[in-house]
Amino acid sequence: MDPAVEGWREILRPQALDLALFAAFAALALVSFFRKSVALKYVTFVAAVGYLGFTKSSLVSVSDVFRLTDLSVPELKYSLVWYAFMAFVVVTTVLWGRVYCGRVCAFGALTQLMDPIIPRRMRVEVPVRIEKYANQIKYGVLAAVLVYYVVTKDVAGPIRYAEPFWMFSLFGTTAMWSGLAVLLVATVFVRNLYCRFLCPVGAALGIISSVTTVFSIKRWAECKSCKLCEKTCEWGAIRGPLIVKSECVRCDDCERLYMDQKKCPHWLILFKRKGNTAVPASNV
Amino acid sequence: MSQLQRVAAIVLSLFCAAVAAVAADRIFTTPNPAAELKRLFPNAAAFSALTGEPLHFTAYAADPKTNPSAPPQGVAFWTTDLVPQEHGYHGPIHILVGMDMSGVLTGVVVTYNSEPYGYFSVEPPKFAMQFKGKKISDPFRVGGDVDAVSRASISISSATRAIRDSARMVAKQLLPEAGK
Repeated sequence: MDPAVEGWREILRPQALDLALFAAFAALALVSFFRKSVALKYVTFVAAVGYLGFTKSSLVSVSDVFRLTDLSVPELKYSLVWYAFMAFVVVTTVLWGRVYCGRVCAFGALTQLMDPIIPRRMRVEVPVRIEKYANQIKYGVLAAVLVYYVVTKDVAGPIRYAEPFWMFSLFGTTAMWSGLAVLLVATVFVRNLYCRFLCPVGAALGIISSVTTVFSIKRWAECKSCKLCEKTCEWGAIRGPLIVKSECVRCDDCERLYMDQKKCPHWLILFKRKGNTAVPASNV
Repeated sequence: MSQLQRVAAIVLSLFCAAVAAVAADRIFTTPNPAAELKRLFPNAAAFSALTGEPLHFTAYAADPKTNPSAPPQGVAFWTTDLVPQEHGYHGPIHILVGMDMSGVLTGVVVTYNSEPYGYFSVEPPKFAMQFKGKKISDPFRVGGDVDAVSRASISISSATRAIRDSARMVAKQLLPEAGK
């Protein structure tokens, strides 16, 4: 009767299933990340869209950035999954960069699932000089919605018009759905358009990544002159010898190349010197 | 990290710090919710001011100024006064709850929320409607006697707990005869 006597059992029971499923998803995402496995990455995408997206609608929203201004958070004991999710996002971002953007965000996963389906010839590659500026738009979007929020205290507005994550809730006005349709059609031609150029959450995580990223991607000495990874990177995150941490979403494409003894010049040069003998994997 | 990003990072962190100081101001509940009280007690002739411990309005069938013996019809109170620690997804949800003298809710009115998905969780009249006629001894379980709204579970659960816990606290202290 008295709310104070509500025991841990009553509080935990309704959350247990979601906690278990989120833990399973987090494990999948991390295993796919550490094994650099393409197949597991796509399994993670499907799980992100199906479970985190359409089932739970659990995505980091720009409203979670607004919290930093007023430190307003849900009650811990009733929202354990939310806290676990947020902790996962912050910890992975601090340690490795925008892992959230690359394989956890349901919208990012959805647009990345379009990649293997849409024929390459339909894709428009944004020229590097334009891309460099387009990348900065998202910081402008973040600043704009923050100012709008502080002035009006309206959470719902930016969520409807500055980010498409509401789509997983399936509640939208005609205007919202039309905007989303335009965005998705544009994404058919420009790969991951929203994540790369517009997303305010990606901008916020990009700022954290550029300041922190404890374990960044290693590079060979040959990376200074080689352009192979730079051309392969679908996120425009490699510029010469430099990996732009705020753009990198840890998709593993360059890291797979880096380890590929048949493609990466580091290995090819090494083999040439040693007389074409493959180096045992233990020397890697 | 390019120069531009470094500048962006510094500007944003300064901005956040400045904002934290400014944004500490709270949003207060409606000071005189006459229209909302009327919706909870349509037959009431008069309402007291928000007073007492815990803070509440009292609804009277006849104006107590002219008829001092007029019995109270029920009480109304803000969930934010009774359970201020209760937060939804993004802060407190302001709910005015009406309850008759036997511990049955006459209705609830959601006057303000800052939930990102408020427009399909706690704002639709459907949410408030389902609390009318509920007894304080009812379970108030989301997914049971309160409709779950999938993908907005933090908002819905928080609002439901706020109504349940505040109603039980008020009944315990003000309506000794409400029983169980």
